Amino acid sequence: MSDETRLNPVDQAVISQALLSAAREMGIKLYRSAYSSVVRDGKDASTGILDAEGNAVAQSDELIPMLVGSLSITFRSCAALYPVATLKEGDFYICNHPYHGAHHLQDILIFVPIFYRGEIIGFSAAVAHHLDIGGGAPGLNSSATDFYQEGLVIPPSKYNLAADWENEGPLRRFIGANIRVPEQTLGDIDSQLAACAVGAARVTEMCDKYSAATVRRAMAEMIAYTERRVRAAIAAIPDGTYHGEDAVDDDGLSDAPLPIRVAVTVQGDRMDVDFTGTCPQVKTHLNAPFASTVSATLACVKAVLTGGDVPFNEGASRAVTITAPKGSLLNPNPPAPVRARMEASFRAYDVMLKALGQAMPQHAVAPGYDCTTGFCLSHLKDGRYRVFIELRDGGYGASPRQDGCDAVAGPLSNCTNTPVEQIDADYDFFRIETYALRPDSGGRGQYRGGLGSVRAYRILDDGVRLAIYADRFRIPAAGMAGGEAGACGSCLIQRGNETIAVRSKDDVALRKGDLILLASGGGGGYGPPERRDPADLARDRQLGLMRG
Amino acid sequence: MKVGVEIGGTFTDLVCIEESGIRLTKVPSTPRQPDRGVFHALEAAAIPLDAMADLAHGSTVATNAVLERKGARLALLVTEGFRDVLQLRRQDREQLFDIFYRKPDPLVPRYDTLEVPERVVSDGGVVRALDMAAFGPVLDRFLAEGGHGAVAICLLNAFANPAHERAVAEWLAAHRPGLPVTCSVDVTREFREYERTSTTTLAAYVQPVLDAYLSRIEERLAQGGFAGRFSIMQSNGGRVPATAIRRNAVSALLSGPAAGVTGAIRQASLSGHRDIITLDIGGTSADVCLVQDGRPELTREARVDTLPVLMPMVDITTIGAGGGSLVWVDDGGLLRVGPRSAGADPGPACYGRGGTQPTLTDAHVICGRLPADARLAGSMKLDAAAARAAFAPLAAQLGLSVEALADSAIQIAVANIVSAIRLVSTSRGRDPRDYALVPFGGAGPLHAAAVAEALAIGTVVVPPNAGVISAYGLLAADYSLYDSLTRRTRLDADAPAAVRGVLAEMLGGLQARADAIGLGEARRAEAVLEMRYVGQAFEIPVPLDLAALEGLTTESLLDAFAVEHRRIYRLGAAGQARPVEIVSYRVGLHVPHGSVPSLAEIAGPPLTVPDRATTIFDGGRARAARRMGRAAIGAVPVAGPLTLDDLTAAVYVPEGWTAATDPSGNLILRRGA
Repeated sequence: MSDETRLNPVDQAVISQALLSAAREMGIKLYRSAYSSVVRDGKDASTGILDAEGNAVAQSDELIPMLVGSLSITFRSCAALYPVATLKEGDFYICNHPYHGAHHLQDILIFVPIFYRGEIIGFSAAVAHHLDIGGGAPGLNSSATDFYQEGLVIPPSKYNLAADWENEGPLRRFIGANIRVPEQTLGDIDSQLAACAVGAARVTEMCDKYSAATVRRAMAEMIAYTERRVRAAIAAIPDGTYHGEDAVDDDGLSDAPLPIRVAVTVQGDRMDVDFTGTCPQVKTHLNAPFASTVSATLACVKAVLTGGDVPFNEGASRAVTITAPKGSLLNPNPPAPVRARMEASFRAYDVMLKALGQAMPQHAVAPGYDCTTGFCLSHLKDGRYRVFIELRDGGYGASPRQDGCDAVAGPLSNCTNTPVEQIDADYDFFRIETYALRPDSGGRGQYRGGLGSVRAYRILDDGVRLAIYADRFRIPAAGMAGGEAGACGSCLIQRGNETIAVRSKDDVALRKGDLILLASGGGGGYGPPERRDPADLARDRQLGLMRG
Repeated sequence: MKVGVEIGGTFTDLVCIEESGIRLTKVPSTPRQPDRGVFHALEAAAIPLDAMADLAHGSTVATNAVLERKGARLALLVTEGFRDVLQLRRQDREQLFDIFYRKPDPLVPRYDTLEVPERVVSDGGVVRALDMAAFGPVLDRFLAEGGHGAVAICLLNAFANPAHERAVAEWLAAHRPGLPVTCSVDVTREFREYERTSTTTLAAYVQPVLDAYLSRIEERLAQGGFAGRFSIMQSNGGRVPATAIRRNAVSALLSGPAAGVTGAIRQASLSGHRDIITLDIGGTSADVCLVQDGRPELTREARVDTLPVLMPMVDITTIGAGGGSLVWVDDGGLLRVGPRSAGADPGPACYGRGGTQPTLTDAHVICGRLPADARLAGSMKLDAAAARAAFAPLAAQLGLSVEALADSAIQIAVANIVSAIRLVSTSRGRDPRDYALVPFGGAGPLHAAAVAEALAIGTVVVPPNAGVISAYGLLAADYSLYDSLTRRTRLDADAPAAVRGVLAEMLGGLQARADAIGLGEARRAEAVLEMRYVGQAFEIPVPLDLAALEGLTTESLLDAFAVEHRRIYRLGAAGQARPVEIVSYRVGLHVPHGSVPSLAEIAGPPLTVPDRATTIFDGGRARAARRMGRAAIGAVPVAGPLTLDDLTAAVYVPEGWTAATDPSGNLILRRGA
């Protein structure tokens, strides 16, 4: 950008701040008004402002990391079919297609053009995870063999708010007719549209104050700013190629591990991330569509290189190129199912963590348990389904400076637990009997990995089913620099004197009186255990957290 | 004579109301012996202890006990199977992208937590009975080995059936007399075990510290012949007699900011403004609070040192933009203000205490909005040359004049504050344009007009003596008691009777407490129902008109819910056919205690400053402006740009705004008048 077109520093700073603030305000609007607990408690949503070409400019930084940096992919699929130049006021793009930039069908993306005096200045975007999008089973269809069985597919599309959505418009009725709990899903789409309206109003106000041309220039400069800061962070890494490898336990059908490999090449101020060597796609829903791979990679780059201070946008994608072989677990071909894409995404995050740890030893962190433990109990009684879903924690990896954090949500998400007293009040077919840290589950080391936890569910009625997708039941979080691996997770059913092991991806009929023990695992340790400070050892023993 | 003493980190402020008017006194705080600070301030103001009818006090002693972990070694008793409730928290983390994230240390370590063999469920039913005869010896051994100074008890679902908590407490009273015991059911009766346990441990932890502190003050007051009322500020914006706060020590946490908001509400209401946004800008941060019809929004999600507190607290949002906020350029070339701060020491460069980095206060001095020779609190003289020197290197780097950079820094700070206010109002479904902005704190009135301009707020109400409004707020505060209870009530035909029954029991309890501590008879009750669609993840607060309680119907409850639901969710109440339930009940009882004069009625002569021409820098250019004492502004509006000297907080009135003083002594700034 030449000096003539550059804004003065105060306008740039103020407009940048205002754009970020608009993205955050959209995010608050969305999660405060959402119906689904996944959006409200889990913040499984994202909001942002894009420029007129669909490049992400500002994204809310308070929602989950897993949706960082992938908004533009979906936008381009929509704009290719319905060019921006043809849009009218009231039009919007909508899409949940995992082979057009969505992560899975549960994530519906909406883009609303922002018009200023007849001209499109940019777009406001909102994506939210919907609990019900139809498909082969309520809650979780773990037996899906293609993504059509996972729910209603909305291809990259253009609709009009007044013509198609409001007042029971045809799109609203069409979606409503294809899902089991329409008022919840439609209500959350309303919230997404309301969030987009807030973003559009803020950008319009900025244009009133500074002129549309100034706002456009500020958007372009904001992308360039992020690119500069990411490139500056990359330039501080020694040139070279760094590798990382880990694996998902299995595909739920066989016992074969699913390896994920990465080569990160740093050359000057650019970074190339290549997942060549990753295993082929699988038949079950563990495939991670490419947008998920992009988000997991950028979330790790952001966490390790720049922390929370650099607002990620299209500029980060310009500094970091990401490739994964077509037909692999991290870039599958349609119609492979993708509902449980988080396990592979977490492993992509972990191999990035390993590779960047070699490149930047001062930022090295051993991998954590890093799983989405999706745990679902359902009960059919008097013709009515009751479904309980919760996402569990795990231990974080240790670093050269400290122990890993105990029992916390995985780094790509930030889901809270469900209070025991809330479960007591809401569900009569099971009860939590134990929720405790899991001593000795962190990998030993000079600094130990974080501990996992165990939660015990007593089944109080017949006819309850358990569905689970989890990982690291067989392949633990590795230690680093001589540290030991963390403990694996497990799921056991105690039925009288019998103990039944549940697989990490499984579906089981339960009996009244069963006790399910669901344990999350620990993070990897860092450095040789014999170098651990005796004071730290003594403290862990006193607290009853680790024996040695 | 009524006296308010507010102990802050740096200064202790005293406001004294007597027949002849209001007197203000400011003395340095004595952080190591805060109780002495109270008497230092009283001595400095030459107030005889026996002359006070009312002494209201706000202190950070409870908050500091938590921040510095200075409380007693606590034993925590929890339901068997849930020993790690404080360590597990809610599983989420505060920083999203921190690979080195750690949870803060809990108040009670794992080895001081003992599991109680019992289990109560949500309807109060007992599925595992407590056998104290068997458990007593286990507890006895545990306490003997630990040497604990206090015990906190928080058992699952105790709010539905407190029998087991009571049984343990009675056993302790019999076998360990004198050991302070706190039951969760006496602190908060709301569900969600982590938050309730956290609150209970905080109460047990803080209570002995607060008790000792208040006892020392009471003893000295008694020696001095004090026979008046001694009351303590709470974080909910009301106060209670000192004797009563010991039972509910958590409500004293974070009371300082609440006192400021209470003072601002009282002062703004004298000018007829009851819907206001308060803006308190001090040295390191800006605090924002939304006030609806004279009542501050209360939050249930407050935290002290990241530990949750289930107590109604004035809902204040804090951002890192204060007078000491540093101005800097990041490695991407973007100009930034804060969140890092020069703090109180060395403070801004213009303070002349060795600070060399540019701050927001320096920017105001450079731009002429804060006159360098202004007489501020402590009679500190500002060093304009040092302010310019601090900005010079950054200005050279950016190719800007020192004035242009300083002006830019102020605009960026204003943008940060504007963002915070937008988020606070939007998330509650409110439009900032419907409010008046009420700035206070040392730097609030310098920024207020620019903040209002950006939010399209037309009126700014600058209270007189805006720098000591917290101490004034202590005296302006009502006595307030609150109670809450989780009790699920489906909105069916039986609901009105159930609601009346629960509220009668809760309000009866509050009335009895008010009687016991001798509060006056003019009492105002309020009630809020936390309601939601069955199955929804979060409930929303629905105010209930107690005057209409007798005529309450299922329909009127549903209507009240629908109104609030629409306001927050905006796009109508989707799923109106779904069943609605009440999850929790909250009640409050307020006892006003006589009127308080305006903070404007200061005894003694006002600050006089000659009316003169000056130059200020704003919006990228130098402008001719007038400088005068705030007291020189009368009822006739004076057009900006103006800088107004004031004893505790300088005021800046930009071009396009006017200033006038109204009969209550508030300075009213209006846009485009």
